[in-house]
Amino acid sequence: MSTRIRFKVIILLAGLIFSTIVFSQKFVTKNGHIRFYSKAPLEDIEAHNRQVNAALDQSTGDFVFKVLIKSFEFEKALMQEHFNENYMESGKYPNSTFKGKITNLKDINFSKNGDYQAKVEGELTIHGITRPVSTTGTFTIKDGKIQGKSKFNVKLADYDIKIPKAVVNNISETIEIMVDVMLDPVKS
Amino acid sequence: MKKLIKILAILAVIGIIGGVAGYVFVYNKPHPDYESVKAEYVIEAKKLYDEFRNDPSGTGNRYNGKILEISGMITSNESTDSTSTIVFVFNQGDFGDEGVRISMLPGSGDQAKKLTQGTVVTLKGLCTGYNDTDVILEKGTIIKPKS
Repeated sequence: MSTRIRFKVIILLAGLIFSTIVFSQKFVTKNGHIRFYSKAPLEDIEAHNRQVNAALDQSTGDFVFKVLIKSFEFEKALMQEHFNENYMESGKYPNSTFKGKITNLKDINFSKNGDYQAKVEGELTIHGITRPVSTTGTFTIKDGKIQGKSKFNVKLADYDIKIPKAVVNNISETIEIMVDVMLDPVKS
Repeated sequence: MKKLIKILAILAVIGIIGGVAGYVFVYNKPHPDYESVKAEYVIEAKKLYDEFRNDPSGTGNRYNGKILEISGMITSNESTDSTSTIVFVFNQGDFGDEGVRISMLPGSGDQAKKLTQGTVVTLKGLCTGYNDTDVILEKGTIIKPKS
């Protein structure tokens, strides 16, 4: 192959690869972090899930989170057991999902580094119950990656999660949820 | 009579101490020892993925929360300073790779980092479920290749 043709091929390949990365519409992570926190008179409880699957479609604003309940880790084994068996019934409802959309897409420039406020609306399914949720978060765009962070509250009763009278001072009725995901472009 | 009351009082105190000790013991029970625990099922990673994909609910009932030993050829190894996740890719979805992912225990750290694409392995871990994209296992340890 002549040097000229070889050169053109290299430019073409570079262009194709570059366009895939720059114009990738879809972003994903498989190690998203969700933490929940319960503050009650007798006890503070927190748990971490670092296996969260989050996917964002920049062109439609679709933003989906898929969470496995058994991936929540507690410091105390007994608490983790109660969480799974008594409260979340993760045998029956192993997954929790959020299927939402960014409603202010036009305010976010995905190709320009910076911090952006995002408004997200969608349906949150916990313990087999689905409810509409709207919240805000921040997107930090840096060199083609998106870090998404959000904090919102969930009322346990809304999702039919029952706190026995005996532990009413150990578990809060309203739990704080913190989301922190680092989304990478999907290689097409 | 006094002697009887004394005996009952001592028994009551022993009972209370025993009760409290028992409560504290259970309350502080440790997490399972994932290094030494025995696998309930031995299955090829590809078969595990196919089973979950075809019947998420039924397969979940069988494997969720259980220790599995999975075997297959590694597609990739996502290693950071603190964690290693071994990935088996069996499918391409709307958002990229789909398959089986197993995050390794910190103890397997150095050895896990050396597992490269194409290595045939047997890994043991806790199956936490299928999120419609990947089958997730955690607390992974290496069964083969033996170190």
